[in-house]
Amino acid sequence: MIPAPGSPGEGWSRLSPRKLLLDPVKAIGQAIVPVVVALIGISQSDTRFWPFVFPLVVIAPLLFGALPWLTTHYRLTDSQIQVRSGVLNKTTSTAPLDRVRSVDLEASLLHRVLGLQKVQVGTGVDDDRITLDALRLADAQALRTTLLRRREAEQPASAPVLPAEDGTAAPVAPVPAPALLARIDWSWLRFAPFSLARLVLLAGAVGVVAQFGDDLPIWNEETATSAWEWVTQFAVAMVALVLAVGGLVLWLVVSVAGYVVQWWGFRLVREHGSLHLSSGLFTTRSITVEEAKVRGVELVDPLLMRLVGGAELSTLATGVEDGVTQVLPPCPRDVAIGVGESVLDQPGPLTEPLVEHGPKAHRRAWFRQLGNAVDVTVVVAVAWWFLDFSWLWVLGVGVAALLLAAAAGEASYRHFGHALHERHLVAGSGTLARVRTVLETDGIIGWVVSQSWWQRRIGLADLTATTAAGAERVLVRDVRLDVAVALADRATPGLLTDFLEPV
Amino acid sequence: MSHVGGTPVLREPAHQVSPQAIGFWTVSAVIGDGLLVLGALVAWLVVPGAPGWVGIVVLLLAVVAVAHVVLMPRIRFRVHRWEVTDTAVHTREGWIGRQTRIAPISRVQTVDSRQGALQRMFGLASITVTTASAAGPITVDCLDADTARHVVARLTAITATTEDDAT
Repeated sequence: MIPAPGSPGEGWSRLSPRKLLLDPVKAIGQAIVPVVVALIGISQSDTRFWPFVFPLVVIAPLLFGALPWLTTHYRLTDSQIQVRSGVLNKTTSTAPLDRVRSVDLEASLLHRVLGLQKVQVGTGVDDDRITLDALRLADAQALRTTLLRRREAEQPASAPVLPAEDGTAAPVAPVPAPALLARIDWSWLRFAPFSLARLVLLAGAVGVVAQFGDDLPIWNEETATSAWEWVTQFAVAMVALVLAVGGLVLWLVVSVAGYVVQWWGFRLVREHGSLHLSSGLFTTRSITVEEAKVRGVELVDPLLMRLVGGAELSTLATGVEDGVTQVLPPCPRDVAIGVGESVLDQPGPLTEPLVEHGPKAHRRAWFRQLGNAVDVTVVVAVAWWFLDFSWLWVLGVGVAALLLAAAAGEASYRHFGHALHERHLVAGSGTLARVRTVLETDGIIGWVVSQSWWQRRIGLADLTATTAAGAERVLVRDVRLDVAVALADRATPGLLTDFLEPV
Repeated sequence: MSHVGGTPVLREPAHQVSPQAIGFWTVSAVIGDGLLVLGALVAWLVVPGAPGWVGIVVLLLAVVAVAHVVLMPRIRFRVHRWEVTDTAVHTREGWIGRQTRIAPISRVQTVDSRQGALQRMFGLASITVTTASAAGPITVDCLDADTARHVVARLTAITATTEDDAT
């Protein structure tokens, strides 16, 4: 670290001087379009201004790039990390070291060329993070290690300080060697095309192409009509086939490329009482989640991925910006379960069968989906009343919606279920995807038992465990009321005791 | 609620809300429903060439509104109950559906009380207890203002003694 001359007081350091390169390049990148437009405009009108304009264009980004570096200082005291920044309004952010929950490193391609890292320190308050952009790679990693180790030392319960052989106490708690939980296996690439998350991206790309399509030469009228003749001469089916195959190939390329870019060099490591994830081909991400803040995991088998035995795993944590952190790429179900179990420190919750919710819940699952089908059919029927198209359409849509609803209803009932596995509440949900949410019972901070009028008729209830982790609620749907109360009572012993009727 | 074997059954919370709540809910419902029915009526009369059956719809709407104004506050008064012990907050609310909420006091983060203008006329106040979960806020509607003040003071005193960050 560079001890900056004229820094405000003891122990303050500046960000890496290479930031002086980073920010101007970024600024130029952002301003390139208006600047080029302006330059072209000026060069066309008059060349007299060149001697004034050119230095301005070069110097302005340099100046603006240098300001943050000149004004930003940070330091580590015994109890706090402090960051001062700002030109006119000086702001000082501080975070107590024992409140540091996560230290994330991130580097864009530009950062990596310059050997820099952006450091983000999370302190358990949801959106309040301290950002240091940018530090030298070695400094960033040293800072991360220091922060996380310091925090660990603050918690003697999880890392007892062992008295050394020669009578002096060891100054720092012994740090267990980092344990590798998972790393990228390129045979997992086979799951990439079955993960539909990137379909949105592809749709966007198609939109862009369609916009440029107007400018392409094939769409002037002459070629269009001759192309149309060609189409009618040969089979339309052939074109449809080509389009389908082309779309499929495009999808394969995009999904596989996206997977490679996102998960290149993926490693999930457990060290200093934290889960540490790093990956990325161009922009490298490095996410650290404190294990004490992880309250559970969520295992998702999306519809298509289930065909090939794939799954995704996320942790549910408190005090992180987004409580649900995906810690594994789409990968074989066994791998996801294995990693999930080592995060939970317990085998079972992810694999054991769930308690089914019975025939009434089964019927309700069907009716809920059939209700949707009826809604769709009614909309189409109303459209048929006002517009003029064949009633066969109404019939077709109705039948298709009913079949889909039946399938969805059956599937969603099969995904229902709950279990209480020692210290974990397990809930099954999902209509198309199969979702299994596992929440530590210590993380439950309240219950909601909710009954609609229909549910009261047939004695069912929706039981919601509220929590600060993940999506902040875990829903056990359509469970018998007495089963729900018993489940809540067993999951949080003592909480309900005062409110139970004497049996 | 039915007993099945020896499974526990949740009893209802100990206290009812203030009887003044019936008046408050009635007046709120009269205002809300009245505006709705009036709006529908005006629309029917003003729009030229509206068919006659729209009048029947407006009439039905008015009947439903009257039923709502008469029944809702009374049912709601019977359903709404609350209880604060030294360890937990327990409420029940709803009128068609039912919602029962329980949160341990050790996880309570904030205690707010609120009094709208209409509520003040009836001498009522509402309390909201929040935890660290977005799904967890517990509201006790329409306590009489004195009770609300006492409950807030008591909850604040209890939560001040708990120390961890309640997540």
